[in-house]
Amino acid sequence: MSNNVKIKSRKADIDDTKYSMDTHIIYGKDVSDKWDYSHHVTAPISSSTTFRLDSVERGAQGFTQFAHTEEFGEHAPIFIYDRLGEPNKDMLEENLAYVEKGEMAVSFSSGMAAISGVLGILTVAGDEIISHNTLYGCTISLLKNWYPRYNIKWNPIDLTIPENIFNALTEKTRVVYFETPSNPNLDIIDIAAVRKIVDQINKSRGDKNKVYIVIDNTFSTPYCQRPIEFGADFVVHSLTKGIGGFGTDMGGAVIGKKKFRDILHLIRKDFGGVLSAKNAWSILTYGLPSLALRQKQQIKTAMQIAEFLNSNSKVEFVNYPGLPNFRGYETARKQMVDFSGNFAPGALIYFVIKGNTPAESKDNGRKFMDYVADNAYTMTLAVSLGHTRTLVEHPASMTHSVVPPEELANRGIDAGGIRIAIGLENPDDLLLDLDEALKSI
Amino acid sequence: MGFSTDAIHAGQIPDPTTGAVITPIYQTSTYAQDALGVNKGYEYGRTHNLTREALEKNIAALEKGKYGIAFASGLAAIQSILGLVKSGDHIIATENVYGGTYRLMELIFKDYGLEFSWVDTSNVVKIRKAVRPNTKLIYIETPTNPMLRLTDLRTVKGICKKYDLISVVDNTFMTPYFQKPLLFGIDVVLHSTTKYINGHSDVIGGIVITNNPKIHERIRYLQNAIGAVPSPFDCWLTLRATKTLAVRMKQHNENAKRIAKFLSENPKVKKVIYPGLRNHPHYSLAKRQMSGYGGMITADFGDLKSAKKVLNRVKVFTLGESLGGVESLISHPASMTHASIPKREREKLGITEGLIRFSVGIEDVEDLIADIEHALK
Ligand SMILES: Cc1ncc(COP(=O)(O)O)c(C=O)c1O
Ligand SMILES: Cc1ncc(COP(=O)(O)O)c(C=O)c1O
Repeated sequence: MSNNVKIKSRKADIDDTKYSMDTHIIYGKDVSDKWDYSHHVTAPISSSTTFRLDSVERGAQGFTQFAHTEEFGEHAPIFIYDRLGEPNKDMLEENLAYVEKGEMAVSFSSGMAAISGVLGILTVAGDEIISHNTLYGCTISLLKNWYPRYNIKWNPIDLTIPENIFNALTEKTRVVYFETPSNPNLDIIDIAAVRKIVDQINKSRGDKNKVYIVIDNTFSTPYCQRPIEFGADFVVHSLTKGIGGFGTDMGGAVIGKKKFRDILHLIRKDFGGVLSAKNAWSILTYGLPSLALRQKQQIKTAMQIAEFLNSNSKVEFVNYPGLPNFRGYETARKQMVDFSGNFAPGALIYFVIKGNTPAESKDNGRKFMDYVADNAYTMTLAVSLGHTRTLVEHPASMTHSVVPPEELANRGIDAGGIRIAIGLENPDDLLLDLDEALKSI
Repeated sequence: MGFSTDAIHAGQIPDPTTGAVITPIYQTSTYAQDALGVNKGYEYGRTHNLTREALEKNIAALEKGKYGIAFASGLAAIQSILGLVKSGDHIIATENVYGGTYRLMELIFKDYGLEFSWVDTSNVVKIRKAVRPNTKLIYIETPTNPMLRLTDLRTVKGICKKYDLISVVDNTFMTPYFQKPLLFGIDVVLHSTTKYINGHSDVIGGIVITNNPKIHERIRYLQNAIGAVPSPFDCWLTLRATKTLAVRMKQHNENAKRIAKFLSENPKVKKVIYPGLRNHPHYSLAKRQMSGYGGMITADFGDLKSAKKVLNRVKVFTLGESLGGVESLISHPASMTHASIPKREREKLGITEGLIRFSVGIEDVEDLIADIEHALK
């Protein structure tokens, strides 16, 4: 049977704009121009690497039209081969674009594949990337260890003061890249302010040397923040985290304007970082529909934990966007808002334990984490975040071990800093374990 | 179509909406209906599932049957068979069937008023003698587990015709690759697909196959009413496995033949039972009724002590229940699969303490022989 058979869907003509995002996130777009899976209630798990083509002519048509939507328009795709596209990924992409308020999304096999994918389409040898000082460790590694090979220059600066961009800017600058909140120390960067500056810069630039803003929104998830609404050109995600939500599947995505979809499909096709259909299915079926519920709960818990740590005498300081004494609080209030406009400061907390010297503070942090590893029922010493379980980690020796000790301070990371990614446990139980862990020092 | 062609294609047309060559995992519990009483033929996951349907059509084609009805386990499939009879009815069953089948019938369904006669069905006279006015069904395992005794399917068909009985064969050991009971006029075939059909020791499943529309209708009704349905993912895994059933069975058969010969020539082995050996009591029937002899071998090592030595010393063979996987397994029927049968009954069947059952996998046969050789030293 051919792909151009239009199945009449009972719900195809419902006006869905009048419903809220909490609801949309459950239904997504399983009724679209491309297919109708609404009848299945839950979409089938696509499990085929290759697709039957009706004729050589139609096969050829599929290959010609692939990643050429500018020329051929938005047809129902002719599926050819999993790496080029298949239904589960396409459905997930439609839903992701929708919740992030973007025009399109392209999924990747991991957050890193998505980050290298979007930077791959925006830069060529000789170009420069400006980023915030503090980034996820492997993103630092990508920019610092690999891009010199391609003669792409990395220029890390403090973007909490957006005007710093002017000092770092050159003719060759193509990308301003950051996370907000940043991993691991939760620096908040004013997206709208960066947009304003970049607009000013782009005024005198043509299409070819324009500067693009790319934001890694992994820490916030679209529930807490939609950077495109504040002016981001691209959003990237590690779907492995809050969006996937259960810690079972790796995945990544780039969200942005429609005109970039073709080239993102091409880079994915040729570099091969393609999301597994089964992962796409589980993120689509479990991750997105439960995102709002999970985030709501985690934010509530995070607030309680942050306040507890903030008032604990053994804690030097706590970074959490929901605490009024946090330096990024005002900006966070502006841009970290949930689907209904309420302040949504996220599910990550960063803190440092006191010590008379930095070395002692670091040692106390180690004691705390070792105690957690051995004794805490509700906390697990492990990297990653956005899980059902609360995960605790030591950035300096784990996620950010790529940063040499003497550079940690430049990167905004404390030698003894601790990152907590809140899960779905009962907050009282987390407080119990935290209290005991702190008492053990 | 040939067996391998059916195995790869039957029931598996490319997905109509996308052209996907491999059947999707239709992981949905319910289906949206167009209007009250109007749907696309699918209402609820227990009743209908497309991945399950693909598997049912696939295995039915391999057994040369019209209808396949899949279940969550071999025993669930067997339970559905018992739904073909009623309280007060009598069933004749092969005396040394799989222990779980015996348990289901004798220890559970007997309490619901079914009567069972455990008969050496390899002997026609004994079957005839067991027929009563209320007999409704004959339940056969051939070859049996673990004694590998064969029943003549043509004779069973004759008896069933004469007395108007339903004939059922558990074809788990042979698979349709080596034996197709429906072609001998048997009414119903069933499988623990857990074994050779899935073959990779990662799925529990069962299936019933028949050409009889009335039986199909009844079993289909029971599948939904009792609800022991397999998951879409398990069906998908099993579908993946049937594609290699032919090549796997060929290799199981080759390896088992070599090992049976090796064991027969070893003086420490008291007795080797394998349908492909000339000294097997049903060798000529095996040649007539099956196109191969399968991968199961039973051997008597004399006593518990010698058996234990082999069981504990083998390294490539894994000590474990189940059979039919790509990896070789070894087990001790008296204390494992057939422990639920009382000792006296067991010994009557020949399941002695020295008996070992080999499920020969598809490893390099030289390694398997060396493994047993070492264990016997
Ligand atoms: C903010 C952020 N971006 C990107 C990544 C990389 O994602 P992945 O592990 O899915 O490649 C991570 C992973 O920890 C992360 O925390
Ligand atoms: C011949 C035979 N039939 C039926 C079964 C029961 O199958 P299951 O374990 O899939 O329920 C077995 C299992 O060992 C068996 O060997």
